[in-house]
Amino acid sequence: MSDLFVRKATGLVRSWSVMDAFVYALFSINLITLGLYSFSQMYYFEGGMVNALIVSALFIFFEVVVYAALISVMPRSGGDYVWQSRILGGAVGFILAVTGWWFILWLWVPLYGDMFRHIVLVPILGVLGAKDAALWFAGTQTGAFTASMITLVIVSIFITLGMKTYARIQKFSFYGGMVGLLIVIVLLLTGSPAAFKAGLESNATSMFGAAPGVYDATVKLGTDAGAILPFSGGSLAAVFLVIPYLVFFNLWPNWGATLYGEVRGATDFKRNVAGMGWALGVTTLLAIVFLFAIKKTIGWDFYVQAGGAWWNYAWGYTPNAPALPVWPYPALLAAFLTTNKLVQLVVVVLMSLWWFGWSGTVFLSSTRVIFAAAFDRLLPEKVAEINERTGTPVNALLLMVVPSIVVAYLFAYNIASFQTLTLCSTLVIAVTFLGTTISAIVLPYTKPDLYKASPIAKYNVLGIPLITVAGVIFGGFLIYLLYEWIIDPNALYGIGLKNTSSIIYMLANYVLAAIIYFGFKAYRKSKGIDLNKVQAEIPVE
Amino acid sequence: MTTLFFATDVHGSDICWSKFLNAGKFYGADKLILGGDMTGKAVIPFVHQGGKNYRITLLEQVFDATNEEELADLVKRVRSRGYYPYMTTPDEIAELEKNPERVSKIFLAEVLKVVQQWMDLADKKLEGTDLKVYCSPGNDDMDEVDAIVRSSKRVLLVEGQVIQLDAHHEMISSGWSNRTPWDTHREEDEDQLKVRYEAMTSQLKNPRNAIFNIHVPPYKSNLDEAPELDKNLRPVLAGNSMKPVGSTALRQSIEKVQPLLGLHGHIHEGRGTSRIGKTLCINPGSMYEQGTLLGTIVRLGKNKIEDYVLTSG
Repeated sequence: MSDLFVRKATGLVRSWSVMDAFVYALFSINLITLGLYSFSQMYYFEGGMVNALIVSALFIFFEVVVYAALISVMPRSGGDYVWQSRILGGAVGFILAVTGWWFILWLWVPLYGDMFRHIVLVPILGVLGAKDAALWFAGTQTGAFTASMITLVIVSIFITLGMKTYARIQKFSFYGGMVGLLIVIVLLLTGSPAAFKAGLESNATSMFGAAPGVYDATVKLGTDAGAILPFSGGSLAAVFLVIPYLVFFNLWPNWGATLYGEVRGATDFKRNVAGMGWALGVTTLLAIVFLFAIKKTIGWDFYVQAGGAWWNYAWGYTPNAPALPVWPYPALLAAFLTTNKLVQLVVVVLMSLWWFGWSGTVFLSSTRVIFAAAFDRLLPEKVAEINERTGTPVNALLLMVVPSIVVAYLFAYNIASFQTLTLCSTLVIAVTFLGTTISAIVLPYTKPDLYKASPIAKYNVLGIPLITVAGVIFGGFLIYLLYEWIIDPNALYGIGLKNTSSIIYMLANYVLAAIIYFGFKAYRKSKGIDLNKVQAEIPVE
Repeated sequence: MTTLFFATDVHGSDICWSKFLNAGKFYGADKLILGGDMTGKAVIPFVHQGGKNYRITLLEQVFDATNEEELADLVKRVRSRGYYPYMTTPDEIAELEKNPERVSKIFLAEVLKVVQQWMDLADKKLEGTDLKVYCSPGNDDMDEVDAIVRSSKRVLLVEGQVIQLDAHHEMISSGWSNRTPWDTHREEDEDQLKVRYEAMTSQLKNPRNAIFNIHVPPYKSNLDEAPELDKNLRPVLAGNSMKPVGSTALRQSIEKVQPLLGLHGHIHEGRGTSRIGKTLCINPGSMYEQGTLLGTIVRLGKNKIEDYVLTSG
């Protein structure tokens, strides 16, 4: 729209920077935390990692299109909760939003905690010479639980600081983390396998007390664990079987979507596609480059075997502890290529920023959903209260923190096989995304007036709205993922029907959400408020 | 018991205005209160291309109408977003490019035309009912709007007034805001807002039972969180950095008077409720460009709020 015919009015802002949107999306599909953590667990797959990264990114690009399109049609609405509520109904919207953006985040807390100990605590303590503390965090259940508790404290502080401050922490972390990653890649590309082997032997023994011969012992333990993941190649079927595990890492570019501001036109749709799309593309490319650098100097087979040796023991499949007594964190392994302690410290500290710039997201989205539900009177008003002195949403935070402590305890001590539930964290959110995707598919047909007056009204593919086409492709992808996770015909993912704990845990999430929704609805009705009516469209005529 | 329905920031949307007028019957409300910012933000030129052909650019997309039916459909689309269609020619557009002052006059004329249509519609729709609309134009509304609102039988202009809403509750109203980056029609410094509020609160007979119908939300109420902007009005950090932009004068006034209820708008993203001491503050937010009327229903007891809920109609 020409600026000539737009007057100066509140809220008419210019478009945000694509670069900024890119930064947040890139942090959401976090190569160092989510990426390296999940890659190391995928040692037993037969499809090539590079192939799986590329194929999955192609499908996830349609997720980017779906979310950018929905934001353009319904901006400033609060995301999945409102989109689904308005298109699929209040019950679906509430249940899928609170399970995907709140309840399942309780399970993410021990996962964030696990990454915190492996990526932040252990490497820094090790480089600083605190061997016993490093090994305590790396190898004990209480160490894992403590790391989750520290995680809870840190993310609660981020909530207290507020989004304005945290957004700046994220941006600082992005640049610092990128410098760290560059150093790591340079170390790997300029190193040699022989130098790495020597560096590993030297540092692993001095820093973490590993027995001499750690390299060869790791190779043996990894081989025994069945570590076969190829760097590239594999049949298309084998590559597709890698993807349901890989999406733990890259299903999240939409977390960087910008929901705010008055949409000025089709450009804003393109900007959101660009911000999230570039983040997806660049992260995929970075992952390939990083894995290539690992292959060159650490050796692909050793990298996969080290992951196999670690997780085979951690998951209880073997009594043989890994020869390298800490998680094989590639940045730390790269730091072994130098004998300069200061460089080693700089590397692990800068790389830890990938965790700090990302971890706040675990509660930020949850508090938004809790607030939205309270404003819709589906939770008590008290949960949306802000402490006037600190500006902190204390009660909403408690609704995150207290259940997270319980889940983190169950996870750390592996009660009821809780450590097998890792991929449930992705499954439940994927179900929420599927709800949103179905909303996107039907939007042009169920809300034609809204769609036709939107900035994407002219985006069609063979006469079919682009949002519908993208939704069908991404929805199909999600259904494939859900089939593999739940049915799991090849017994690859450890959750679903083959894992009773996972089914009970996930169903409990949905049942709890349904109880809250229908319980509060009945309660409000008894007080004279019909929640169906307050969500219904008022007649225009 | 009195049941009020409050909505705000409809910004020229015909759909939202019609829904607002129907909301009394739909929700069973006794009182209708419209927060500020009833006028739209953009004029969309319908450029005559000869014959029955018109071309428009809506949200950076070009649409062509080749007959009256398609033209009517495009006008409806434009109005549904709260924008004003303006029939013009390529020659006039070229002239307007050189003469922005004339654009302002066209803008004002289109705004006032729609406000008049809205008042006529309100008088017609609410005729035969006890419903009246209490309205205080907001910082985005031109001064000329007031005279048209005053001419309505069913829409009452209550800016700067203390009115007796029912037997137990008085209401003060103002659409003025603190300073914004857009230098809008009704904004002023905080000390001036303080004077404005005190002029009304000093007249309240029962302040604790009062309703503050004030367009701008109180500072740091969580109802006033807006994307932080740089000097070029660009959201910093991709809109991820939010900051409070409400009125400090209003916050002080609420803290001092402790009215029963605060009804606010202004920040469309700020949908929610908040307590400042004993005062319940509500900003129902706005999704006017999607034709969704966000609002709130509040049931007022004698000395308390019986219940409330945010609506999405």
